[in-house]
Amino acid sequence: MRRLYLLLSPRFQGFRNSLTNTGGKGRKRTLILILVGLAFWALLFALSFRVLRYFQSVEVIGDLLAHHLLGMILMVFFSLLVFSHIITALSNLYLSSDLELCHASPAPLETVFLSRAIYTVMDSSWMVIVFGLPVMMAYALVFKPGLGFYVSLLHMGFGMALVAGGIGILITMILVRIFPAQRTRDVIMLLGVCGLGALYMMFRLLRPERLVDPDAFFSIAQYMTALQGPDSPYLPSHWVTETLWAYLSHASGKDILFQSALLWSTAGALTAINVWVAEAIYFTGFSRAQEASRRRAGKRALDLLVALARRPFKPEVAAIIDKDLRAFFRDNTQWSQLLLLGALVVVYVYNFSVLPLDKTPIRIEFLQNEIAFLNVGLAGFVLSAVSVRFIFPAVSSEGAAFWIIQSSPVPLKRFLWTKFGLYLFPMLLLGEVLILLTNHLLEVTPLMMALSSGTMFLGVFGIVALGVGMGAMFPNFKHQNIAQVATGFGGVMFMMLSAAFVALIVVLEAGPVYVLVMAELRGVPVTSWQWVLIVSSFLAVLVIMILAVFKPMKMGLKTLSQYE
Amino acid sequence: MINLIHLTKTYKGLRTVDDLDLGVAEGSLFGFIGPNGAGKTTTLKMMAGVLKPTSGRIIVDGMDLAQEPEKVKQCIGFIPDRPYLYEKLTGMEFMKFIAGLYGMDHASSLQTRIGELLEMFDLTHWGDELIESYSHGMKQRLVMCSALLPEPKVLIVDEPMVGLDPRGARLVKDIFMEQCRRKTTLFMSTHSLEVAAEVCQEIAIIQAGKIIARGTSEELKRVAGVDGSLESVFLKLTEGKRIAHATPLSAS
Repeated sequence: MRRLYLLLSPRFQGFRNSLTNTGGKGRKRTLILILVGLAFWALLFALSFRVLRYFQSVEVIGDLLAHHLLGMILMVFFSLLVFSHIITALSNLYLSSDLELCHASPAPLETVFLSRAIYTVMDSSWMVIVFGLPVMMAYALVFKPGLGFYVSLLHMGFGMALVAGGIGILITMILVRIFPAQRTRDVIMLLGVCGLGALYMMFRLLRPERLVDPDAFFSIAQYMTALQGPDSPYLPSHWVTETLWAYLSHASGKDILFQSALLWSTAGALTAINVWVAEAIYFTGFSRAQEASRRRAGKRALDLLVALARRPFKPEVAAIIDKDLRAFFRDNTQWSQLLLLGALVVVYVYNFSVLPLDKTPIRIEFLQNEIAFLNVGLAGFVLSAVSVRFIFPAVSSEGAAFWIIQSSPVPLKRFLWTKFGLYLFPMLLLGEVLILLTNHLLEVTPLMMALSSGTMFLGVFGIVALGVGMGAMFPNFKHQNIAQVATGFGGVMFMMLSAAFVALIVVLEAGPVYVLVMAELRGVPVTSWQWVLIVSSFLAVLVIMILAVFKPMKMGLKTLSQYE
Repeated sequence: MINLIHLTKTYKGLRTVDDLDLGVAEGSLFGFIGPNGAGKTTTLKMMAGVLKPTSGRIIVDGMDLAQEPEKVKQCIGFIPDRPYLYEKLTGMEFMKFIAGLYGMDHASSLQTRIGELLEMFDLTHWGDELIESYSHGMKQRLVMCSALLPEPKVLIVDEPMVGLDPRGARLVKDIFMEQCRRKTTLFMSTHSLEVAAEVCQEIAIIQAGKIIARGTSEELKRVAGVDGSLESVFLKLTEGKRIAHATPLSAS
């Protein structure tokens, strides 16, 4: 037990040191992150509260809806927990740099395994607490359960995390026994991304919005069938749902003890099974993870793409483009996210194809054009979200090899603008596809088509420059995983600024666009005062766009040239 | 070829490199030795343009690094102590990437030159493998290949023997001496006093950011009043003085 505590202590001490030894700048960052987190919690809480309150107002099936929602939420959490444990177990049990020290120590294998398993459960579960707590508190506020709810939430939440951890770690150990650890990560990531993309598309194409429109169903029975989720009494999330619901619905709760016993006995059994399996196969897998495997690079298609991309540029610019493209497409955790992006585009466009415009009392041409204009803002937010994942980490993606750029004769300014150019073309393509396809589905006027696609075209320059520039202002060359870069302080700041930039453009253009569209629809001329408003608004937009392009790039360049 | 003039680097109020004045002639192999934390790597990183000096100047081939960074870097090859590279590129692709950064076009002569360098460092059979599958020593040799590719006038080398097996170390020493014969100037920091004694024509000992002695091995022995190995000279000269900086950076 003492050894287990010793093996766990570096994490706790490191956490304590990072809290106590943080300088003024670090404290400010922590404070901003806490505020953003609290705002997110408040938003999630308010949203959940509103939905549950609405359900309560629905006669007959209101409680049923709330019960189903709870089941769905807990099942999603449970699936996410299992997947998250698989990924985290891989790095905690097989790939962490401090593992050599642990295995070389005289601590028994079982203790090393348990310490890493505890790390895994901690690392994987905190996200569920962040997302889950406000939702559960909204349930508590709406249904006013007794103290038993909170106690059950605490111990059953912990029990569910243990069960998910047991399953996730077990799967990882078996996978690493079959594949080398590095390959296992790629396989898991690829399967995860494909699964998530498919699930997202499937969910959307099922049109869940029909559930709030019971008129669309012929009978209550049909509606209830559509409501049924893929639940099973054998799922741990089901046991938690039923226990919590017993308290929320003030039921007799005769099954509470049984459900709790089911969960905890499963957690205990899985822990024991994991320890036995670890004794049999963990060290063999860890040992194999140390062995370097020769990896030949995939060629042909990538060579062709790289050759095309680098052709118009000077050798130093072409070299950076060449390197970035190869690194991106050889990293399975990176390129596979393009599949998710594809699913996102399909669902985005699909949403516009099923808009019930014919059911509104507003004049259809007006509505079509207004939606088309608001769509610029929506597509802008989508591009911001894509940018935080792909463009913001562009500078940090150099990682510890950034010294190569620093010591090379390529000026940092050219390096930064090369990154800008590299991402500009695909982002322009994405932005214009979103706008043109949806405008086509909305059958907007040629004027609106030109206005929205023009705004998007120029807006992309600003979003990309913000991404590259702020990525350079908040570089993280010491990351273990490039995906972590987007979730840091800089990533959050970028998202906020990028969203503000898009919102500002939409607000500034709203007046002139309204005037122009109404004049066209009504066939009346635009007055000279209106022209003054239009021209000054568009000029202001242009100035903001120019600022959004050059200011962050300049600030990023300054930070990067002082980077040590 | 290299002139460091009043070069100073301050971290959080602590002078890790303290008013350094140093000149190195063309075609010489200059050894820079000192205890851990003495300021060797900081000096080398400033010379390579990776760190910005707090004050002072770095002149290479008559050009000021602060005034004309691109031109100076064009004639410098830098080999850091830890070979962090782009893991998703192959060795061959990495060499072409470096060629691109230094403005070398993809002519057939370049391909031949890369082939020769990979052959020289015993990496030919690994040219098409991703760098992520290389060992530490192989990465170190690849960095050396890439540093020699643009045929630099000055090579700045930080701890070149770390991670190399005896054969690799011998190979590297021979290559460095050959480079000097071709008039390349080498500025090398090392912990290995045997390596310094064997290959360096001139040696400087740095301690707590300042040069405390400088000269050939024989001159250093005379200064120290020791008639033995470079190790005893080093121990004698650094005797009684603080090894590195007295207080950690976090304390300032």
